[in-house]
Amino acid sequence: MDRRKFLTLTGTFTGGSLLLPDFLYSFGSQKNLIVGEQCIVFVQLNGGNDGLNTFIPFEDALYYDVRPKISLSKTEVLNSAKGMAFHPALKGFASMQQSGDLSVIQNVGYPNPVRSHFRSQEIWQTAPTHQEYLSDGWLGRYLDLQCKEHQPTAGINIDSIDNLALKGEEPNSITVKDPDRFKTKSKAENDGQLSDNPQLDFVRKVANSVVEGSDDIQKALAKSAPSDVIYPKTGLAKNLEWISKLIKGNLNSKVYYTSLGGFDTHDNQLAIHKNKLTELNDAVFSFYEDLKKSQQLQNVTIVVFSEFGRRVKDNGRGTDHGTAAPMFVIGGNNRGKIIGNNPNLSDLDNGDLKHEIDFRSVYASILKNKLAFDSSKIGIQNKALEGLF
Amino acid sequence: MNNPTLWSLRLGYSAKQAQTIEKIGLKKFLDESFSSKFDSKVPDFLKDSPKTFAEFKEIRKMYKDNPDQKKEMQKEEIQTFLEMKTWWIDKMREAEFPLREKMTCFWHNHYVSTFQKVKVNYWIFQHNQILRENAFGNYKTLTKKIVQSNAMVRYLDNVDNKKGKLNENLSRELLELFTLGIGNYTEEDIKNGAKGLAGLGLGEDNAIYRKIFEDNDNFVYLGKKGNFKIDEMIDIIFEQPNIPYLITRKILKWFIYDNPREELVHYYGDYFKKMNFEIKPLLTKIFTEEYAKNNAGSKIKNPLEYALQLMNELNIENPNEKLIARFLKDQGMDLFNQPNVKGWDGGNSWLTSQVFLQRNNIADLLCNGKNLTRAKKINNDNSMMSDDSMTRQNPNQQLKVKLDWNKEGDNKEIIAELKNRLLFQTDNADQQDFEKILKYDFDSKTEGSDNAVLRLFNFMVKTPEFQLI
Repeated sequence: MDRRKFLTLTGTFTGGSLLLPDFLYSFGSQKNLIVGEQCIVFVQLNGGNDGLNTFIPFEDALYYDVRPKISLSKTEVLNSAKGMAFHPALKGFASMQQSGDLSVIQNVGYPNPVRSHFRSQEIWQTAPTHQEYLSDGWLGRYLDLQCKEHQPTAGINIDSIDNLALKGEEPNSITVKDPDRFKTKSKAENDGQLSDNPQLDFVRKVANSVVEGSDDIQKALAKSAPSDVIYPKTGLAKNLEWISKLIKGNLNSKVYYTSLGGFDTHDNQLAIHKNKLTELNDAVFSFYEDLKKSQQLQNVTIVVFSEFGRRVKDNGRGTDHGTAAPMFVIGGNNRGKIIGNNPNLSDLDNGDLKHEIDFRSVYASILKNKLAFDSSKIGIQNKALEGLF
Repeated sequence: MNNPTLWSLRLGYSAKQAQTIEKIGLKKFLDESFSSKFDSKVPDFLKDSPKTFAEFKEIRKMYKDNPDQKKEMQKEEIQTFLEMKTWWIDKMREAEFPLREKMTCFWHNHYVSTFQKVKVNYWIFQHNQILRENAFGNYKTLTKKIVQSNAMVRYLDNVDNKKGKLNENLSRELLELFTLGIGNYTEEDIKNGAKGLAGLGLGEDNAIYRKIFEDNDNFVYLGKKGNFKIDEMIDIIFEQPNIPYLITRKILKWFIYDNPREELVHYYGDYFKKMNFEIKPLLTKIFTEEYAKNNAGSKIKNPLEYALQLMNELNIENPNEKLIARFLKDQGMDLFNQPNVKGWDGGNSWLTSQVFLQRNNIADLLCNGKNLTRAKKINNDNSMMSDDSMTRQNPNQQLKVKLDWNKEGDNKEIIAELKNRLLFQTDNADQQDFEKILKYDFDSKTEGSDNAVLRLFNFMVKTPEFQLI
């Protein structure tokens, strides 16, 4: 049990202020306090998520003009504010916003946008100043400075491949390919995929049995209270459920990273995008409810983003690679606002939105407000975005 | 992985020889390897080490008179020992045809003799040199020579084997580990063999019999009766029907299969016997016949194969070979220092979870241009650093790493190129992961493309498949 919960509980059990000095009580319930166990959870949407059909300028007639085949009608979208609305699949997002726990940052991007998945992801993950090529990620650089000694679980990446964002001089993060194998140790040992090559099976078993820092993870999983939220049976939900266990078990990782692919909707966008956003919504909303019920939401900041948005005008049944798009920040005592102007569909750059907020200023704000870290130390020159926390 | 690459790894330590194998063919490649020249001069670092018997006597006397000097000398010998490890690693890395060094290492792990016990660098060097000279010679001849090396009679305590006070150690291992293997002799043979070996002790250049310690009674050895000495004993051993199999099995394990099938062992073993235990025809037959089979991924790389391949792929010039020696030790393959006379077990025992983790860690370090050790960060304002540590090679010094890859290629071509060099097989899931790292819109012409391909490489060398050849 962490200290804050301890104080809140004592307050409740003893009838509040009677036995507890005032200053301690207010410490326990104070909303904006940065405490030690703050962490950030990144959900990267791979392939370039179509921002305009995610957070929709439904009162802008131009939107319907440029997207005759793939726009979402006024009657089906979920009204948000300022003439914007969520995609109908994002019911959870709308509800989180109503509770004041979700901020939308509009038109996030960077100057001279690159429309290659490969390079744009690299740019988001390394946060260079002038698009120079960096071999370490922005979170890796942060962890290098933050961890006095090599600390393998400071960052946790759930993916089948290592994450450039977390790569630093020191391996302060680990990649977990499949959270399932942490269920029990003995199970993992029997789980080796059987091929017709006994030597390969053997090496796979060894590989599966070792993850640096797995003892710490096992401990956190054992300590973690069971969740009373039922997560959907999707990959992303499984990953987020597992992250929630680690957080509740006090693993004390600073950064968690996971991703959801399939957003490269060049064709058949309406159906594909709906599926993907449904998976995103259901997983993130379960995670949110779980954190809220276990009183962890103030300590956990969820960041949802993609390497770029998509072309304003549709290409028929889909959209091509574009530029700026909204970012979503959930929990961590964010202010729950919509930051920035609505997308300007009449002032385009080669058919793409012009970015108004630099993603690096969002990073700077997260580092400053949630991790009490000066982002200039890792070469991020942009001023921290105001109004997020 | 194509066959020439696979066999370059199997017959050496990297993909360096793949092109040669492809160009001149395996048969010719083997011939070239067999006739490859080797360095026979005594290395410089042994210049001041004692060599002759007279020198040892003098030193022993000096030790008695002057214990301080003894400590000093012993320290120097340990340094010399480290030099010897790096001397050998260098040969393995640099050889144009590394098969001789690989075979030397095979014998090194067959006729084990460690510095820790022998304590004389020069004898260990001589022992190693016999293996190098006879790497492709005759098994019977080599057995005779190695058992009569100063290193071996000391390592297996035959220096204490004297008439009336027999020591069976060498006699036992000669039968159990060096030749026939358990089940092919009796305890009586071991006891009697010790009589034949009694008095075989240290000599000037190699082991010699000392008349006064010899046991000249007749005894029965593997069914024959007589007053046999070491050479005749080995002749008798090599008449036994099961003699070819233990060594053939070990050769198959060293080069190709962690678990060779017994019929294969007998097939090649019978041929070996027919060839009068000549090693060249045996190796030629095994390698050419196995080359034609689909048997990639049957063996877990030993730490040497693992480390030298990585360094070669990353084009690391002049790596710190002392750190390689230390890495080998951490990985359970300390050169000249096997844990016991049985040598490294090999196969699955190379890979524990700890070892696997360390392999992945050094893969990360090397790809980051770091040396093989994760030394503590050195702060510039840290005044703890002494002058001494400044002059030594700084383990944190940045290495130049450079990966070779086809700059004209697209993502799939580059993935295929790397796969072919690194992984004996891959499946669809692997391919998807690779294409997540190098996406379809990857542009090889941009300045940062080297970093991206290096990340792909780093990922590939951490897969289970990379552990196998």
